[in-house]
Amino acid sequence: MSFHLVVRRTHLYLAMFLLSWFLMYAVSSVPFSHAERFNRGPAPRTVRLDRPYELAVPESGDLRAVGAQLLREAGLQGAHGVYRPNPKQLNVYRFDFWASSEINYFQDQKRLRVLDYQRPWHQFLTGMHARGGFQQETFLNDAWAVLVDLVQMGILFWIASGIYMWWKIPQVRGWGWLALGGGAASAVVFLVGL
Amino acid sequence: MGMISRLIRRTHMYFALFLVPWMLMYAVSTMTMNHRSEGAAARWEKEREETYTGTFPSGATPRVMARQILISLGMDGAHAARGPSPDGKITIFRNEPIAQRRLTFSPADGKLLVEREVFRASAFLERFHRRRGFEHPYALADAWAFSVDLAIFAMVFWVASGLWMWWEMRPTRGWGALTLALGLGLFTLFLVTI
Repeated sequence: MSFHLVVRRTHLYLAMFLLSWFLMYAVSSVPFSHAERFNRGPAPRTVRLDRPYELAVPESGDLRAVGAQLLREAGLQGAHGVYRPNPKQLNVYRFDFWASSEINYFQDQKRLRVLDYQRPWHQFLTGMHARGGFQQETFLNDAWAVLVDLVQMGILFWIASGIYMWWKIPQVRGWGWLALGGGAASAVVFLVGL
Repeated sequence: MGMISRLIRRTHMYFALFLVPWMLMYAVSTMTMNHRSEGAAARWEKEREETYTGTFPSGATPRVMARQILISLGMDGAHAARGPSPDGKITIFRNEPIAQRRLTFSPADGKLLVEREVFRASAFLERFHRRRGFEHPYALADAWAFSVDLAIFAMVFWVASGLWMWWEMRPTRGWGALTLALGLGLFTLFLVTI
């Protein structure tokens, strides 16, 4: 098998394998690009639990252990983020592709509240688009982050192999230069003019 | 090769050559965001400090004041205005792609501080990645938002035209179907588990 054929086949099969992610990134970019058409204010929420509760919360440092404790207390598990909206409150945001919940621990009131969000459908897309990183503790979440990297490496490979394949067809070099040069020039205009 | 097939192949290629800078930026910036850690706050360096002598229409909002200040400094462009803060100051963020500027205006004494964000490659990439939408009243900002929509359209077109080109190459149908199914299966697994 020649080098040229290896490049062509890798370009194709990599695209077939990563097609689901690539299509997801394309379609999910629409609600970001046209946010004014999709945003209808805060998502409705229902209170699942609201009761007294006491937990020692460290003043500073990593809050994920405390977040995990609050998740267990709320009967939840999985991907989450922990943050402090103010010095008297700790929030844990629990999410998957389909649903999300928020746990509020009010330190001064010694009170625990769990809210379930009824997300609009487009947040299913934007949630997938924005998901990444290696902060979660589970293997599958890390595997998703690896796939995110793989898609980006795939895009870099498609750029390089696409340019190689273009160069191998002499009759399209002229228009190809025009497209490549036009795109690069437009990008420079945006870079300095925006 | 039929005429439609040829047209699809050429459009696939020329679209890709034109959008090389966009796809390169999205790929590299996504990898950066996928590996970022918390706490990398922006640092600002002072560019200049002056007294702003202009006057504002009565009842001018921070947004109106921000636009007037930017125009008078020759810095008009996409921006966001915050304030007034408890001490009456108005902060303007001028969203320039390479390094954004922060202007702090104190209406009480007319002092205007202009600062420039210390360049960080990761912040520059992330800012470009997140830039979209038609909410700013500037032609170039709208042109950028249009180019983002064009990239979205092109991504969907590459998927559709890629499938067309794959199906036309009979020897690749078997491995192509296998890699497509593997990718789709893995994507579905993530969809239901994380």
